[in-house]
Parts: sequence; C-alpha cells; structure tokens
Amino acid sequence: MSAQLAPEDVLTDEGYAVVATAEDLHVTFRRNGKAIHALRGISLEIRRGEILGLVGESGSGKSVLGLTLLGLHGAGATISGRATVRGRDMVSATDAERRAVRVAHLGAVFQDPMTSLNPTMRVGRQVAEAAGSDEEALRLLRLVGVPEAESRMSAFPHELSGGLRQRVMIAMAVAGNPDLVIADEPTTALDVTVQAQVLRLLRTLRDELGCSVLMITHDLGVAAQIADRVAVMYAGRLAELGESDAVLRSSAHPYTLGLMRSRLTLGVDRTRALPALPGEVPSPAAPQPGCAFSPRCSVAGPDCAETSPEPVEVEPGHHSACLRPLAVVRSTDTVSPVALTARAEPAGIDQDTAALSLRSVVKTFGVGKGFGRKRTLHALRGVSLQVAQGESVALVGESGSGKSTLLRVAAGLETADSGEVELSGGSRPQMVFQDSGASLTPWMTVEQILGERVRDLGRAARAAKVREALSLVGLPAEVGAARATQLSGGQRQRVCLARATIVPPPVLLCDEPTSALDVSLAASVINLIARLRRELGMSVLFVTHDLSVARVVADRIAVMYLGQIVEIGASDRVTSAPLHPYTRSLVSAVPDVGLTPVILPGEPASPLNPPSGCAFHPRCADATESCQDTELGLRLQRVANDDVDRVACINIDLSHVPTPVYITPKGA
Amino acid sequence: MAVAEPFVVPRPAWRRPLSLDLRAPRTWSIIGASLFAVMTLIALAAPLLSPHDPLVPVGIPLAAPGHGGFLLGSDSIGRDVLSRCLYGMRASWFAALVVIAGGFLIGGLVGLVAGSSGGWIDNLLMRITDGFLALPAPVLAIAVVASLGPSFTHTLIAVSVVWWPFYARIVRGEISKLAARPHVEAARLAGAGRVRIALRHLLPGALPAAVVTASLDVGNLVLALAGLSFLGLGQSAPAPELGADSARNLSLLLQQWWVPVVPGIAVAVLAVIANVAGDSVRNLIDPE
Amino acid sequence: MTQVRFVGQRFAAMVIIVLALAAAVFALQKMSPLDPVHARLGGQASQGAIAAERHALGLDRPIVTQFGHYLAGLVHGDLGDSYRTRRPVTTDLLAYVPATAELAATGLIIALVLAIAFAFASTLRVRGAGLFRLGLMLGASVPTFLLGVFGILLFYQHFGWLPASGRTSIGNAPTGPTHLLTLDGLLHGRPDVTWDALKHLLMPATAIALGPAVAIGRVLRSSLEGELSSDYVRTARAKGRSERQILLGHVVRNAVGAAVSMTGLQVGLMFAGVLVVEQVFGWPGLGLYIAESIPVADFPAIAGVTLLLGSAYVVINAAVDVIQAAADPRIRV
Ligand SMILES: Nc1ncnc2c1ncn2[C@@H]1O[C@H](COP(=O)(O)OP(=O)(O)OP(=O)(O)O)[C@@H](O)[C@H]1O
Ligand code: SF4
Ligand code: SF4
Ligand SMILES: [Mg+2]
Repeated sequence: MSAQLAPEDVLTDEGYAVVATAEDLHVTFRRNGKAIHALRGISLEIRRGEILGLVGESGSGKSVLGLTLLGLHGAGATISGRATVRGRDMVSATDAERRAVRVAHLGAVFQDPMTSLNPTMRVGRQVAEAAGSDEEALRLLRLVGVPEAESRMSAFPHELSGGLRQRVMIAMAVAGNPDLVIADEPTTALDVTVQAQVLRLLRTLRDELGCSVLMITHDLGVAAQIADRVAVMYAGRLAELGESDAVLRSSAHPYTLGLMRSRLTLGVDRTRALPALPGEVPSPAAPQPGCAFSPRCSVAGPDCAETSPEPVEVEPGHHSACLRPLAVVRSTDTVSPVALTARAEPAGIDQDTAALSLRSVVKTFGVGKGFGRKRTLHALRGVSLQVAQGESVALVGESGSGKSTLLRVAAGLETADSGEVELSGGSRPQMVFQDSGASLTPWMTVEQILGERVRDLGRAARAAKVREALSLVGLPAEVGAARATQLSGGQRQRVCLARATIVPPPVLLCDEPTSALDVSLAASVINLIARLRRELGMSVLFVTHDLSVARVVADRIAVMYLGQIVEIGASDRVTSAPLHPYTRSLVSAVPDVGLTPVILPGEPASPLNPPSGCAFHPRCADATESCQDTELGLRLQRVANDDVDRVACINIDLSHVPTPVYITPKGA
Repeated sequence: MAVAEPFVVPRPAWRRPLSLDLRAPRTWSIIGASLFAVMTLIALAAPLLSPHDPLVPVGIPLAAPGHGGFLLGSDSIGRDVLSRCLYGMRASWFAALVVIAGGFLIGGLVGLVAGSSGGWIDNLLMRITDGFLALPAPVLAIAVVASLGPSFTHTLIAVSVVWWPFYARIVRGEISKLAARPHVEAARLAGAGRVRIALRHLLPGALPAAVVTASLDVGNLVLALAGLSFLGLGQSAPAPELGADSARNLSLLLQQWWVPVVPGIAVAVLAVIANVAGDSVRNLIDPE
Repeated sequence: MTQVRFVGQRFAAMVIIVLALAAAVFALQKMSPLDPVHARLGGQASQGAIAAERHALGLDRPIVTQFGHYLAGLVHGDLGDSYRTRRPVTTDLLAYVPATAELAATGLIIALVLAIAFAFASTLRVRGAGLFRLGLMLGASVPTFLLGVFGILLFYQHFGWLPASGRTSIGNAPTGPTHLLTLDGLLHGRPDVTWDALKHLLMPATAIALGPAVAIGRVLRSSLEGELSSDYVRTARAKGRSERQILLGHVVRNAVGAAVSMTGLQVGLMFAGVLVVEQVFGWPGLGLYIAESIPVADFPAIAGVTLLLGSAYVVINAAVDVIQAAADPRIRV
C-alpha cells in the first residue's frame, strides 16, 4: 500500500496524514456453535480529510470493519490484527482508552436513525451529550440544517421526519470536531431526494470541518457521488482500492467489473437481458479457500482456488487483489454469458385489451392508535391507470406516495373507498413481495406452499406441477422439500415467483421484489420476471422506488406523488426527458458515477395533510401563485396529442413533444 | 441462469437425531422436559407407590418420621403422612394439568379467532379478555369457589375461568404479529379461505409461544391451587390434599413439625419439578 | 391536552371494570346455592317469617332492581351485614384493612428491592449474581405458606430472633391516626412500636414477596438486556458515554415500563399471598376475616373482601398505566 506512517509518528505529529488504519484485521464471531468469519485479513488506511467509500454486498464485512474501528465490536468477537485510530489500536485498548478515542476523535452515523436515537430522550439532550452543552448542541443542529433548531431541541425523535433524524445523528457525529466520522449506510433508509440532501450535507461538513469520513454503503452510485477513494470488499477481504474514478470507471478486479456491469443505471440497455453475476455471495460461515470470488469468476484458474490473492498496486494508487494480470481481467466479460442473450421479441402487447384497469381509485386509512383523535391518511387520491394485456407498467415515487397501496387495491387485499377496479377475465392477480422470506409461511415446505394454488389437483399431478413451476424459475426439484429459512434470499424470491406463476395469472403484481437483494441477484430476478412475463403472456405492475429498475422492467412508468399519478409515459421518455418538475428532480437525484445531482429541497410532504392545489407546490421550483389554489382541480393532461404521455402540471407547454433518448447497446 | 445447482435440504434443528452427549445443553433440556412425563407417571402410580391407605389410621398418632413404620411420620389420628402426600401430589398435579389444558384450549381458541379475524370481532373478544385480566385472578377464584361452595370441581372451574385470558392474550398477540406478515396475504391470493389461513398459516406459528407459556405455568398453578386449598377452598375433610393438610395441622407446628411441613414440601417438590421441566421446554423451543 | 384525555379514558375504563366486578360478585351471589334468608333466620323459621324477610331484603323484586339497589348500596359504602358477626361488612372491613394494607405494602417494597437487586446484579454480571438468582428462584417455587412455616421454625423456634404471630407484642401500642403501626409509632414518638412492628412484618412480608420478586426481576432483567443491545445504546457508546452513564441515563427509563406493568399484575398475586400468610402468622387482617367467613358461607363478608381487593387492584393498575404514559413520550401521540 502507499507510504505507511509508523504509529509513533502519527501520535506526535499534529500534521498527521493517516487518521485510521486496519492492519491484517481478522474478526470472527460465534453463532450457534459455528464460526462466522466476518473479516479475514484486511488492511487499509483512511487518509486525513478524505471520504473513503467502503462498498460491498451484504455480509461482506463492511459494518464489522466500521464497528471495530469504533471499538464497538462486542465481547463475543475474536480479533487479530490492528484497527488504529490516530495511532491507538482500538482492538487492544482498554475500555476507558477506547472511550477517550471516541470522544476525542470519532463520530458515527448509523443506518436507521429512528432506532439509533433514544426514543424517550429529547434530541437536544442527545446532541448535548456529545456536544458538551446546550448552546453547542443548538449550533450543531443549525450547522446540519435542522430548520427551527431551537424548538426542535425539545422534540422527541418520533416527532421528526426520517431526514431530520438523520441530520440529528450527523450533528452528534460531528460534535467535538472529530477526525473521523464513520457513516454506516446513512442514507439507505431514506428516499432518493432526501438521500441526495444528506450526501451533500456530509460532503459540505467534511469540507468545512476537515474531518475524514468512512462512508459504508452497498450502493456504488452513492460511493461514486461522495467518495474520494473507494474500497471494494468481498467476503471479508479487500478486493480493490483506489481513487473513485479509477475504481469505478476503470475497474481492475473481476468482482468490481462484474458489479459495475450488472449495476442498474439510467443508461442500461433495456432491450437485452441484464448482465448478471452468476452465483451468490459465499456464506461467512464457510469461507472459500483461496480467492473467495473464484466460484463466480470468469477468469479464474486452478490456482485461484488455492492461493489467496493479496492486494497489489496495479496502477499508481490503485490496488487490486487478483492473481490475473490486469490486461486479462479487463479484456474478459466478467458477467454470465447465459445472461447476455438478447431478449427475445418484446412481449406481445395487446393495446386494446386492458388486463387491469383502475378508475378514480380513492383510499384512506384511519391512523392514530388507541387514544388521541383518529386522523385520516390519504393514501390514494383519485388514481386512474390501465395496464394492457401483456404490458408492464412501473409505479415509482417516494415512500408514502401510495404505490404499494395501489398495488394492494389491485390485488384485492385492500378495498378502495371509491372508484373501480376491473380485472380482465376476473381471475385473481398474483403478487410478489419485497421481503421474500416473510412472504413464505415459515413452517411449510416449498412444495406445500406452491401446492396451495393447485389444491384441486390429485397428489401426483400436484407434485408434477410443483416441479414444473420450480424448474421454470430455475430451481432444482429438491427445493420443494425445503422451508423458507433454509433458502438464500435469491432462492426465496424465485420460490415466490414460482408460487405466483404455477397457474399463470393475468396480472403479476410486484412490490419492490428486488430492493432487499444485492446488486448481482437483483439483476437475475429482474431478468427472470421479464422471461416469465414473455413466456406466460402476463401483464406486470411493478412497484419500485428506483427509477433505473423501473426503466428496465417496464414499458411505461407512472410517477406518483402523495397519492396521485403526476406523470406517466414510455419508460425511456420519462427517464430521459422527464416533464413534471417532481419527475425531473427524481431523475436527477439518482446517484451515479460522474453525475452531480440536483438537490430537491424540503421534506417529503405527509399524506396526513396533503397540501392544497398541486400537492407538490411547497417543493416545486416552477410553482406559481395559482399552483396552490384549492380549486385547481389538477388532472393528467395529454402531451402533444400523444397517446402515451400524460402529465399533471399547469406550467408545462403541452404542445411540445419531448424527444426521448433511446440507449443503444454499448459498442453497437 | 436456469442452471440448477445441486441442493440438499438441511435438517431443521428440532429434527436432529437425539444425541446423548452430556456436554450438549440440548441433551439436558430433553432430560428436563421429560420430567413432565416422569411426574405424570408417578402421579398415576400413586396408589401403587403408597405404603398405606391415606384415609384410614394405620398406627400410632403423631409418630415422628422413621418411627412406628412411618417413613414420613403419622398425623394426629395415625394416618400415614407419606401416603397422604403421594395422593395429594397426584391430585395437585392433575388439577394443574387440567386447568392448563382448559386455559390453553379456551384461550387458544379465543386468541386464534380474535387474531385471525381482526376488526370488531377482535376488538370485542379482546375487550372481554382485558376485562378478565384487569381483575386479580386469585382473588376472583376465591370468590367463585366460596360462593359455589368449596369442592374440587368448583375449584378447577373457578381457576380455569380466571386462567384462560392469559392464553388468549398470548395467542392473540402471536397471531396478530403473524397476520401482519405478507405470507398471509400471499396465502389469501393463493386462494386459501379464512379457516385454512387460520389453521395452516397462523396457528402453527403461535403454538411454540403458547406451549412455552403453558409449560412454565404448571409450577404457578401448582402453587396457586395449593394456596386455595390452604384457605379451605378445595376437597372436603378426609380427602388427602396438600394445602389443606398443612393448614389443618398448623397448630402442631412447634411440636410435631412434620405434620404441617411435609405436605408443604411436597408442593414445593412439585413446583420445582414443574419449573425445571418448563424451563427445559422453553430452552428446547426457543434457545436464548 | 392529550395527556388529560389519556388519564380520562383510563379513568373511565377503570370505572367500567369496577362495575363489571360488582356485577360479577352480584351474579355469584345469585348463583350461589346458599340462601341468605336461611342464613339469617336459621333452619326453624316459619314460612311467614321467611317471606317477610325476603321482602325486607328486596329478594322478591326483579333482578335488575335488585342489582340497582346493590349498586346504590355500594356507592354509599353499604356492603350488607355479615351473617357471622352480624355487623355491617363495611365496619368489619375497616377494622381489618390496615393490618392487610401494611403487610401488602411492606411485601411490595421488599419484592421491588429484591427484583431490582436481582435484575441489576445479573445484567451487570456482578459476582454471586448466579447464586442470588438460584436462591430467589428456589424461594419462588416454595408455596407461600411453607415459606412462612420455615420462617417460624428457623427464626422463631430455633434462633428466637423474630416473633411468630400477630402485628405487635406491645400492649399499649398507639391506635391511629393511620392504623399502620410502623407509621403510628413514628407519629407518636414511639420508635419501639415501629421497631416491634417491623420485626413482626419481616417474615410474612418476605414470604409473600419472593414470588412477585422473581417475576418482576425477570421482566426487568430481560428488558434491561434487550435495551442494552439496542441501536441507540450503540449510538451512545459511539459518543463515548460510559457504561454507567448509558445504563442510568438511557437504558433505565426505556426498560422500566415492562417491569412497572408486571408489578401491577403481581399485586394480584400478592393479595392472594397475603390471605394465605395471614393464617400462618395469625395476622389480624382480611385473610383472617375471610378464612373465618368461608366455612360458615358468610357471603356478604366474602363479597366485601373480593370487591375491596379487586377495586384496589384495578385502581393500582390504572395508576401504573398513567405513570407509564408519563414516562414514555410516544404514548402521548
Ligand atoms: N455481533 C455479531 N455476531 C455474530 N455475527 C455477526 C455479528 N456482526 C456481524 N456478524 C456477521 O458477520 C458478517 C459480516 O457482517 P457485516 O454486518 O459487516 O456485513 P455488511 O457488509 O455490513 O452487510 P450489510 O450490507 O448486510 O449491512 C455477516 O454474516 C454478519 O451476520
Ligand atoms: S484471483 Fe482468480 S478467482 Fe480471484 S478474482 Fe482474480 S482471477 Fe478471479
Ligand atoms: S402544478 Fe405548479 S406546483 Fe405543481 S408541479 Fe406544476 S408548477 Fe409545480
Ligand atoms: Mg451493514
């Protein structure tokens, strides 16, 4: 690695260059008598003032590295190697020393700001605990952009929005000017628009305070957006490390290359199946000997299964842990060749027959449990949508915009207050859920679960049908005897798809089926859904908060805001030439390599009291006086006599036909 | 993508073969849990194990333990304390099991119906349950028995009446947690009806918690029933009953301590056995 | 505002439950095979006398009217007359309540002290916590009356440290104003009375405290441990707070809720324990009163005790809920 500083130097040297290091760090936990190898020899350093992005799929050990640096690895862990902060080893230090280091040099931001704040303590006091005084706490809350900071001091966490809570966490993290802030997925629980705000805030704070940030994330786009350097982890080891641009744009490690190619962006070719990394992340309970990536690696040789590669400098400041020469790695396609077959004919869409049609659907919920007055939550405020036979439509929008409710109304799991839901042929749609584990009955075998949809068949016929359904989604027949807990995340989602398609439904409803999956798995599940749709001739209604997913799964995208569709149109048009101000900000908030996001200010409004007129007006840059008019009666309008594109905004020139950008295959 | 990798179904933990490794905590839990069966057998065999008829005087009164042919002494009219205790334990043990079974069935049914139907049915059933829970069960049981007239059956009825709401709460809690999971909605979309969802997709998930509660509850019931019996709310006079035997002979405490103390110890032995067995069942069903 | 509403709703629920309790006791009385007229007049009364008595007691009126009268009586503190003592049950209860209240309160204090010690010792892994825990568990498996009996054999008969029966051995102990001897002793400047009363209280109070102590202690321990592994504790550690600051400043407030509701529930068990233990120690309280009433089927007396203890339990649990709402800002919605 680059010039190492001796720890003695660091201690005395006020002009230190390295804030923290991991030196051949191994961390092992015991769970149910099994050893979990979370970190298996990782070395890296965090430089003064830099933002180091630490990326990797789930279970790769990112969080464990962060917690070990904080000295919060817990008593159950067996650790060897060093994890130093300003020269002090957090592994061998006493509790008191660790605490002193945390107070003087460290700050932390965790993923879920709701559970990470004490629910019964006012936020002002929680910040003051780190800041030392109320005045300082107030100053910090202002610094991180909490509006009306004085009154917010005496609020409890549950009284703040998700974005504000995360700002409070950040205020605590930067209290006392730490040298290093460890941020573990600080934006994963937030909406894209808020995520962009928080990332901007972290960067600004780093610039103003000069602290370093260890930014732990599973999202390469987030790392690209904020990090100076990026470290990629795989199975508890370092795969690649270097300047962000170098790692992300000219990757040197087969794993990083695979991740970058299977990553969904707004620029992916949507006419072909997505490139997907084959296989799954190895279990940390049984680490692969040699290079952990070898079972999934397209350039692996026999030596890979024996020798564990150490990171070497492949270009100045750019390290990669691979036994193959750089030229070989870069010249090979690292993604599954099977997956690269072109999508066959796009599904046959019958524009004249609606498989599902919703007319002016309104749905409200009474909220406020127990005591206190009941309040009305306006989940859907008059939604009309038609999905043609064989068509795929994606619903996007931030949390609380009503996407899932719309899906559930379509499924018949909720009844609309008013409006009509019509299904062609009258047969039930099927649904695939975000949490595939929770959507399988834990004590039933896969065979019993699938068999439930074909109960009228005889024993033998049922078993045959189950086998057929499993093989259609690429699962071996033995899976039929397993229960959900014995399957991996990817397998579970396939089982859910098998249940949905064992008797092909006219409409398949998908509620964020890929958002809990790692990048490489998400791509293969999306491919599978596309194949099933084509082979079984189903319509698909797909809910996602991720525009790049929406773009590849759907023919049309509907954008929802506070219970209404504000824009709908062809996928390419909506993502490349968005019309509605809200869609425009959504598109520009998608983090990606080499893009600077445009930040939408303000918090998402609450469906408990949607603003009058156009509900988006408090955050809209183009808003005019009349936008908040209660009599506005905003409706979706046709764009330029076009039959596909519609938008609900009074300040758009509807005669103008936007030109979509169709992405053509790379190198074509 | 459709490459079918070989797949071997791992055996679930509770189906693992029985090992006799005495260092494994699981082995001890199995031994502990089997105490329920052992104690039930002893209770069944009480007539065979008792050296004497518990109801008739068979020797000198107030013989100290080990004297006059009485292992644990004799009472004020010369009946065998040991035999009376064995019969008393049998009655206590079965009484506790009967009440638990009753509570489990009634409470389980109420909880299942409430949790799986939701809405106003849930509300109504739970308000009733809460009403029962808002009253002190032991005190209520005393009032019920006292007004119906002391008898064994009345005691069992009274205690069952105040005991089921605990089970209703637990089962309802588990069921409504499960009912919020998407697997229930998936089953609905798969065409399963209300009853099928309740029995196949909800009930099995609530059983472990209910079984754990029930097995931890046996000891509590043994103690509660002994307390009622001590207050004179159990079987009537000559019948051997641990609490009552202790209460009636309290005046002998400072001279012939064994007469009131031994039945009390018998209750404690039952309760300890029940608690150890209950703890073991808990460890088996949800370790940690 | 919502705070007031919460207290109001909790109070309304409390009144409804007490009404339900009264209805239950009334129904029991009707279901009971014991005939109150028979109980009052004895077996030899003439038909005429019986009819007259039935009329006097209002038993010939419709059941709803009878219940109305019953409730009206309750509101005025009229619980009927005891068949046994021939005095109004209310008068009897007033005479016996202070002894029971003093015993139950002392038991509750001991239970809480033991529970807190037990929970913190095991959470902080203090040395000897395991043994302490084992002792408590064993104690909780022993029936209350046997604990009392052992106490008498050991501390009275063997060591002669503690008295075996009654509330006091001092003849001219002050009577009033609270009728609680420990307090009255202090109020009258008679520390000897207080000390003597405490000695009398120690054994029976401990006997009823062990079971609830284990139950409360278990809940407190598991919620302390649950809270200690929560995310906000990790945040506090990352801030560099010490374990002591975290436990006292963050965890305790979040953990007590469950233990407080458990305490409310355990009060019911404690009442039952009091009734039993009073027999063992000849304690002149409600237990002795009810024990004398049960064999002669003195229903008004039994009903009186049930109503009194039941209402006390309901009120205590309502108070527990209000305390909890005050401690947890999330309940204020
Ligand atoms: N305290 C612990 N006890 C036991 N196992 C643990 C503990 N902490 C982490 N692990 C395990 O160590 C492995 C690495 O975990 P880690 O949380 O660092 O992964 P990650 O890269 O942050 O994943 P994610 O993206 O899911 O957050 C996982 O298998 C995890 O379950
Ligand atoms: S070492 Fe071998 S298996 Fe590992 S990434 Fe390099 S080529 Fe692939
Ligand atoms: S109607 Fe007005 S507020 Fe709404 S999106 Fe258009 S310009 Fe903005
Ligand atoms: Mg993590």
